[in-house]
Amino acid sequence: MTSRSSRRCKVVEFPPGSMKRELILTHEPIDETALVQGRVMSGGMGAAVSFAGVVRGTEEGAAIRAIDYEAFEPMVRRQFELIFDDVEKRWPIESLRLVHRLGVVAVNEPSLWVEVIAPHRGEAFAACQHLIDEMKRLVPIWKKPVS
Amino acid sequence: MTINVSFYSYFKDLTGVPSTSEQLPEGATLGELHLQLIEHFPQLGAMKNSTLLAVGVEYQPRDHPLKEGDDVALFPPVQGG
Repeated sequence: MTSRSSRRCKVVEFPPGSMKRELILTHEPIDETALVQGRVMSGGMGAAVSFAGVVRGTEEGAAIRAIDYEAFEPMVRRQFELIFDDVEKRWPIESLRLVHRLGVVAVNEPSLWVEVIAPHRGEAFAACQHLIDEMKRLVPIWKKPVS
Repeated sequence: MTINVSFYSYFKDLTGVPSTSEQLPEGATLGELHLQLIEHFPQLGAMKNSTLLAVGVEYQPRDHPLKEGDDVALFPPVQGG
């Protein structure tokens, strides 16, 4: 068994319901500096992984000005809740924060910001990757390029 | 029974409406609703196999039995991030 697998088995250290969660859907710009300043970590935590998804200047080879994000918001909230539950079962995460922009987001601006706080980097990176993969599979948000 | 249907993303453009309602016999399934919608909105047919179906805010399989007043959503593959 690898060390990562054995870490996954340590879920008992974080009983269900103990992971702090924050989900923000917003039409306002994502203020990464303010979000990082708002970070809260307990003494046992050694890893804070954050990720920003940024709007690219091209879509399928064509230049664009922005992406217009549409969401089925009640279902977005429910599906993120289920994904957060899944993350909490798999890894000993202390805190998970996710912000997703809706509406028109200009090129070079972040549309997604995620932060995972965990005891070690392995579980923090793995949880962040899994969370985003599952979001792209299940969370009902769609993009429309603005040229 | 009456089922309320909402379309998202470019499915609104394909159908020309954001929502509609469908009449189905008691005991009809989500898959049967989908086939009926394709009859009424043939433009949805090309996306039949990749269409995602939800009842309320939960994904459901095609054999999910519907009930009077259910809110069903149809949409293309999601693209968050």
